Amino acid sequence: MNILSIITFLPLVGALVILALPKEKERSVQIVALLCSGLSLILSGALFFFFNRQTADMQFVERMPWIPSINVQYFLGVDGLSYPLILLTTLMTFVSLIASLNIKNRIKEYFFWFLILEVGMLGVFASLDLVLFYVFWEITLVPMYFLIGIWGGPKKEYAAIKFFLYTLTGSVFMLLGILAVYFKSSPHTFDLLILLQSHPTWERSFQILIFLAFYLGFAVKVPAFPFHTWLPLAHVEAPTAVSVVLAAVLLKMGVYGIMRVSYGMLPLGFQWFLPYLVIIAVINIIYGALCAMAQTDMKKMVAYSSINHMGYCLLGIAGLTVTGFSGAVLEMVNHGLITGALFLLVGVIYDRTHTRDIGAFGGLAAKVPVYAGLMSLACFASLGLPGLAGFWGELLCFIGAFPRWKLYTGVSVIGLLVTTAFFLRMLEKVFLGPLNEKWKDLADVDARELCALLPLVALTIYLGIYPKPALDLINATVGHMAGLFK
Amino acid sequence: MRMLEHVYLIPLIPLVASFIILLAAPEDPHSPMPLVGIAAIGWCLIQSVAIFYGAVIGSIHIPYQMDWSWFSFGATIGGKPFLYDMPIGVLIDGAAVVMLVVVCLVSFLVQVYSLGYMHGDPHFKRYYAYLSFFTAAMLGLVVSSNLLVTFCCWELVGFSSYILIGFWFERAEPAYAAKKAFITTKLGDLGLYVALLLIFSLVGSFQIPQIAQFVAQGYMPAGAATAIGLGLLCGAAGKSAQFPLFIWLPDAMEGPTPVSALIHAATMVAAGIYLVAKCYFIYAASPIAMFAVAWAGALTALLAATMAVVCYDIKRVLAFSTVSQLGFMMCALGCWGYTAGLFHLTTHAAFKALLFLCAGSVIHAVHTNDMRQMGNLSKKMPFTALATFVGTCAITGIPFLSGWYSKDMILEQVYEYDPHLFFILALSAVLTAFYMFRLVFLTFTGTERDLERYRHAHESPWTMTVPLGILAALSIFSGAYLSHNHLFERLVHFDPPAGLMPRMNVAPPGLGGIVFAAVACAILFSYRLYGRHDFRLAEDLKRRLAPVFNLLERRYYLDDSFLALVDLGDRTAKMAFWIDSEVIDRIFVDGWDLLAQLAAQLGQLFDALFIDRMVDETGGLSVSVGGALRWLIRRGMIQEYLLWTAAVLSTLAFLIAWR
Repeated sequence: MNILSIITFLPLVGALVILALPKEKERSVQIVALLCSGLSLILSGALFFFFNRQTADMQFVERMPWIPSINVQYFLGVDGLSYPLILLTTLMTFVSLIASLNIKNRIKEYFFWFLILEVGMLGVFASLDLVLFYVFWEITLVPMYFLIGIWGGPKKEYAAIKFFLYTLTGSVFMLLGILAVYFKSSPHTFDLLILLQSHPTWERSFQILIFLAFYLGFAVKVPAFPFHTWLPLAHVEAPTAVSVVLAAVLLKMGVYGIMRVSYGMLPLGFQWFLPYLVIIAVINIIYGALCAMAQTDMKKMVAYSSINHMGYCLLGIAGLTVTGFSGAVLEMVNHGLITGALFLLVGVIYDRTHTRDIGAFGGLAAKVPVYAGLMSLACFASLGLPGLAGFWGELLCFIGAFPRWKLYTGVSVIGLLVTTAFFLRMLEKVFLGPLNEKWKDLADVDARELCALLPLVALTIYLGIYPKPALDLINATVGHMAGLFK
Repeated sequence: MRMLEHVYLIPLIPLVASFIILLAAPEDPHSPMPLVGIAAIGWCLIQSVAIFYGAVIGSIHIPYQMDWSWFSFGATIGGKPFLYDMPIGVLIDGAAVVMLVVVCLVSFLVQVYSLGYMHGDPHFKRYYAYLSFFTAAMLGLVVSSNLLVTFCCWELVGFSSYILIGFWFERAEPAYAAKKAFITTKLGDLGLYVALLLIFSLVGSFQIPQIAQFVAQGYMPAGAATAIGLGLLCGAAGKSAQFPLFIWLPDAMEGPTPVSALIHAATMVAAGIYLVAKCYFIYAASPIAMFAVAWAGALTALLAATMAVVCYDIKRVLAFSTVSQLGFMMCALGCWGYTAGLFHLTTHAAFKALLFLCAGSVIHAVHTNDMRQMGNLSKKMPFTALATFVGTCAITGIPFLSGWYSKDMILEQVYEYDPHLFFILALSAVLTAFYMFRLVFLTFTGTERDLERYRHAHESPWTMTVPLGILAALSIFSGAYLSHNHLFERLVHFDPPAGLMPRMNVAPPGLGGIVFAAVACAILFSYRLYGRHDFRLAEDLKRRLAPVFNLLERRYYLDDSFLALVDLGDRTAKMAFWIDSEVIDRIFVDGWDLLAQLAAQLGQLFDALFIDRMVDETGGLSVSVGGALRWLIRRGMIQEYLLWTAAVLSTLAFLIAWR
């Protein structure tokens, strides 16, 4: 069995083991979950040393027939676009599981669904067959539905069903697209690598139509304006760890889909859509930031800031340059780390105070210095302070988009200002000024929270000072991708 | 030459020191950790002075450049893809040599001074960590050979400024001031950011020498040079507190006074000037950008000087004065006065740091910033009074003190370029003399107006007075030393491309004399209003000119405009969110339902379409494939899917519930 399969299905093994464990053995459930996702993390981390950075080809490929009658394959492989996201997925899931150790009710089910979710996410990034891709894509949906619907906040049912319906409708269109390209290709195939080569024979109108179908599926996940309204609600209602994974990994599936499938497979459709895509990106950036500024709920603010950051990714992609693509991939990774940390941090304070209202605090820095320091670091990383990871992704997206879209890019930088404004305002209201006496007994971060946060913080600083390891993974692949147009 | 090989250590050592201080020892008001910071910056100072000396006697060759590979990313310039290898490195030219000494010297003195000033502060240790971090970022900005790295350090000094202004965050005002400073400078940085994007899209590099070469070879279109120049100016206006972005600087005085001396007077606020100087070759290619620099500087110099006239907060007077002096430098740069601008930057660093530290010494003694509660303090703290007097004379431009040399150089240069600007600057210089002596008179002479505070006043400890003494000596002698044999000019000069220098007017002889006469009158007038025991004349004047005073005290309503802008931003944000939750979400929640139903029907339609087609094509397809497909499609994928999902879900749910 190939390494990618092991990485992808280790969490499934864990999930099945958990299923077999009795409900009362909570500690064992937690250990099994951490063990399996930890192993998956270690193995995917080990690939880092074997990953060939010079080639744009798929690596660690694994291919076998699955449903031969309709030519569906079990086909896995990674390149510089998907491997960083796989690494991000295993890391963020592991971190989220650590953060989930304080879940008190229905522990067994919770960890079961979480591991299933990880299988789905890893599969999406690893699969190179459209049916397989679609199956994994849909697998992520179900655990997410339950994780929000059972362990969520007061309006969890509404949030869960909204999330489910939005994404499901999107993916139905994606399915139509998949079937359409299947029938269009000859011989009929779901093989993504073959489909990536076959577009020259497809007429423009077909490509546009199919592009739109795929785009609907991906845009909901990104989320791109105007399909984003499920996100703030889902984030607010979801438990902390689920928010972390949702923001850090699930959103990336949309951007990944656009880059992998829409762009490569349907270049004419993509080109047709480009002027709209860049406008959507600008709206995501500025409008997302403005909406974030209007929030009084910390978690909702971070959720809207995700919309803003995904706008940078879209902008980078719309630039159609190798720099923009690098920026988009890098921004996905960095946003995953940083926003993951932000959601964890919001969870920390919510656990203690049961409020996320920005106005309810004040002067906490005197009381919880470590927490204040970590939160400031995450906020500054998110607003793009150089020396922290967020800066490089944004910068490359902007550099990549600038030659083609001077005006739009110029306008988009306003997003940087608004982001700064709302993060600093939050820091001021929550941490600075006179201490709100109500919280004079607030405790600082504990060991579990530190364990979850420190890897993210360390990586944020490391990639901020030295982004080379991440970029080296990406360069060859995006260079090849950008070469498609010319 | 060996000395420069390790010049990269100059920013790195304070950086390491900063983290050691922050992480190595627990918080303690009497922590010995600050000595680590002082040792680090002391080493940097020695290195910098050695480099300066080497450059003066010519034993080391400048410009010196050294680059290391940092990371690489794919880029496309003019349709040609390549892997851009981003270097990180040092570029030491004359301006950098001087800046190194300025930054290290002021940092060192301020850190020593802070031993006394911040003694016993609960966050004593953290304060030194922040100071060292600032110094590291600032030194990085100075030595970097890469414009992007310069920008990174630029943002990091902004960040240090944020944490240091907000150092006493338990009070609301510093917290607010810190935020205001960061956001206002960020507003300017947007222009800088776009300028960087433009540069990279044209040149395909962030390396300063390569950009310079690109410009020198005439590849840079004039329009682009103007756009880049204006973008850089935006950034510089934010950081160097130029019109109209200077509003953050007076509020920044909420930080500890040594911080004001170091960051908001001597070094960081000079970064904007330094940036313009660093990218001077771009301005040389664009007369419009040059013109904008000159006028932004002149306007700033005048407006800030007028505001200082009516201010009673001793630190805010100095803050306005800083803004005004930065305007002088900016204006000089805009008038091809590269050397003059940087010369004033150098001398100003010494005397403005001196003035701020004196103010700190006064505040330390009387615990107020309000000059109306001071008076006659020269009796209690003669050394501070003397030092303030020296600083004031230097900034006013009393002959043979450092400020005289540099200000004279600027005025002459500006006159040659544009007499209008000269008159604005000369007026500002006169106002400077007036408000600075007003400060001295109000603080140190006359009668003690607050006896309680007066009685408790005392001279500061040696850790504070020794730095004052050194800075006072520099304020007196540095001008003469640096202009002796045109030492500074030989070190720091810009050679404009042939034919680019505009036609110049010739400054009439005795120009400096006329200005000095006006300055002397201003000093006398200041003495008449504030130098004696009663201020009746001043009060009278204030009453008569009430509208003007009001305008100045409200800072030309620029703060209000800023607040209005913030308010507008808030309202836009609220509106955006309203649209989001009431319009878009509504459409999609209601519409999505509809769409989902539609999709189900579409599935059936699809079914029919493809089945038909399938029937037509059956002949061409193998029976087994066709059969499987038909099986798949006839049953309708969507309904199928939902059914399947439901089945799996219920099985799983059942399994879990069963356990």
